[in-house]
Amino acid sequence: MNIFLAGCWDQHQLVDKNIVNGISFDLTDEGGILLKARNINIKSKGGGQFEVEDELVSAERPTLVGLSMDIDSKSSGRVDYSQAHLLLISDEMAKQGILQTLDSFYRGKDSNTGAKIAITKGKAHDILSTEKDKSPIAFFILKMIEGAEETTLLPEETIFKVWTKILTPGKDFFLPYLEKTESDKIAIAGVALLNGDKFSGLSLTKEQSTLLLLLLDRFKKTNFMSLILNRTSENRSIAFSTRKIQREMKITVDKTSGDITCNIDISIQIEVNSYPQNFKEDLNTKKMNKEISAELTKQAKEIIAILLKANSDVFGIEMQLAKRHPDAWSKMNWDEDYKNVRIEPKIDVKIIKTGNVF
Amino acid sequence: MFFVLIQSQIGIGLFSLPNVVQEPAKGDGWISIILAGVGIQFLLIIYWFLLKRFPDDEFAQVIQKILGRTLGKILNILIYFHFIITGSLSTILMVKLLNLQLLPITPSWMISFLIISASIYLTISNLKIIAKFFVLAFTLIILLLFLTLFTFSLPQEIQFILPVGHSGIKNILIGSNNALFSMVGFEAILFLFPFIIQKNKGVLKTISLANIFVTGFYTFLVFICLISFSPDQLNQIREPVTYLFRGLSFKTFARVDLIFLSLWVVPMTTTIIAYLFLASKSISNEERSYKKNVVINGIFIFLISLIPHTDEITTQFTKYVTYLSYAVIYVIPVLLLLVSIIYKKHETGETT
Repeated sequence: MNIFLAGCWDQHQLVDKNIVNGISFDLTDEGGILLKARNINIKSKGGGQFEVEDELVSAERPTLVGLSMDIDSKSSGRVDYSQAHLLLISDEMAKQGILQTLDSFYRGKDSNTGAKIAITKGKAHDILSTEKDKSPIAFFILKMIEGAEETTLLPEETIFKVWTKILTPGKDFFLPYLEKTESDKIAIAGVALLNGDKFSGLSLTKEQSTLLLLLLDRFKKTNFMSLILNRTSENRSIAFSTRKIQREMKITVDKTSGDITCNIDISIQIEVNSYPQNFKEDLNTKKMNKEISAELTKQAKEIIAILLKANSDVFGIEMQLAKRHPDAWSKMNWDEDYKNVRIEPKIDVKIIKTGNVF
Repeated sequence: MFFVLIQSQIGIGLFSLPNVVQEPAKGDGWISIILAGVGIQFLLIIYWFLLKRFPDDEFAQVIQKILGRTLGKILNILIYFHFIITGSLSTILMVKLLNLQLLPITPSWMISFLIISASIYLTISNLKIIAKFFVLAFTLIILLLFLTLFTFSLPQEIQFILPVGHSGIKNILIGSNNALFSMVGFEAILFLFPFIIQKNKGVLKTISLANIFVTGFYTFLVFICLISFSPDQLNQIREPVTYLFRGLSFKTFARVDLIFLSLWVVPMTTTIIAYLFLASKSISNEERSYKKNVVINGIFIFLISLIPHTDEITTQFTKYVTYLSYAVIYVIPVLLLLVSIIYKKHETGETT
């Protein structure tokens, strides 16, 4: 009978499966790989009711291959990775390169290439082993990352996009950076900067991350930034959202010295969310524009200094050089010369809205 | 009603192969396809000239009239062979694709059996019905085109294509060569010509339009793949078009690539149906033996598809099929046209 029903060969029963939700990768002391997976076990209680249980399974091997077999042998039912929507890689392991861990995900036909990747400060399995009542922890982290992406706190990256970016010469990317605070709380620490597929070890804070996304013209409608102006004398603070960006990036190569300068001119229009200083007067927009512009430009310079140190070419300068100035590019050794590139940001701010009060 | 028949040209040419995008021309692959389309246009014009001289005859008879009985019969068999083999190749590639992506444990012969029996069932009926089904399948292409628009939300780098023309003319032409194989199927017009009513009204226009659509469609798909994947990636991925859809996910449709594949089964099947039809028509001219032919040819194709196919064997097979198709598609019609012009052989059709 089986022969005549096509598809009978390939059917998978849901209750036989053990669905993996999130996976964490760590290096062991002996140089092997430790993998922990969060498995969702769906138990049928009869009558169409299901009980979902979330358990942590671990496997350790000298190399990446074979880890899934170990997990399968420790789980009830067949393990299914097609729903794994979170990948955590520890910072140590990421320093060796993340491309190898991704191989089984884009080679297999079942894997979820829309999964999110994050690099963790410290051990990845620490974060994955956090217990949370009622909600599977991997799902919680996923929602946290998604929420942050919506508010321009984190870049939108999935395995699919990351794989393309790793294999794109001349442009680097950055990933969410998570950390564990207190014994059972997970927080976003900022973004981790990568050079090629290796974690550089340097990261940016949350505020810097939003600003960087702004510089890259990758911001979303919802975004929040907060600044402290004029630290030395007055210590005023302001919170605002960016509504519109116009960006111009120009790369020039000095013919004689071979120096590369990249000028990034950005003008943004912002809406003030909070300015708890002026209680009686209207906001002096002209003055504020100047101050915010100066402060943002200063912070942008700090970010760029870190980027150069991390050797992370997120602006894609190398790619532009290779296409537009191929002679200059062929003479360079990009790994070393990137540090000498001068990137000059200039941010021009204009306040267009100030909320309900002036 | 037979105008619909022209639509079937789109059915065949478009779905010849599922893998479109392996080009040695790298970033300029899309130019290769446009060039290939232009080349095909030339061929279509040649076909048209040839067919106009014999408006009512089946192509098999045309060959015999031009070159005499024995030589004609040999050529006929060659053409028949070409159709059977190309149909088999299409089946093999399709089964492989389904096996890899959708149904890994189901045995290949089962998939092959299901596809071929469905094809036989449709091919046995009237040409009109086949054509109508092809028009239906066409709406699926439109749907798929629509889906591809969503891929613009994925990261893309125009830089992969720039600067335009950087691969050099030679590589682009090699790319055109490879692309041509994906675009075969237009030779069907040779056999469909006698069935078209109202020949004088813009036949050339319609088939050219079909060619433009196919070329445009392929160019568009190749273009998207080229800007979405870096050159290193493209070398590695087996089927970039499918992989492209893996990056998409919506709340209700998590795996768009699987949905795409499931839908694409229909266009791929129409190719097999077309070749089955052509093979059966090229062997016999009478209505009575047509149905029997279809079944026999179907069984032929099925048996050929049963031969185990590793990657190597498939590549070799593809190469042979390509060479044979060159002969059938290019050499024979050009030869026939030249001979018929030189010897002034033609028949005026009845005015309708």
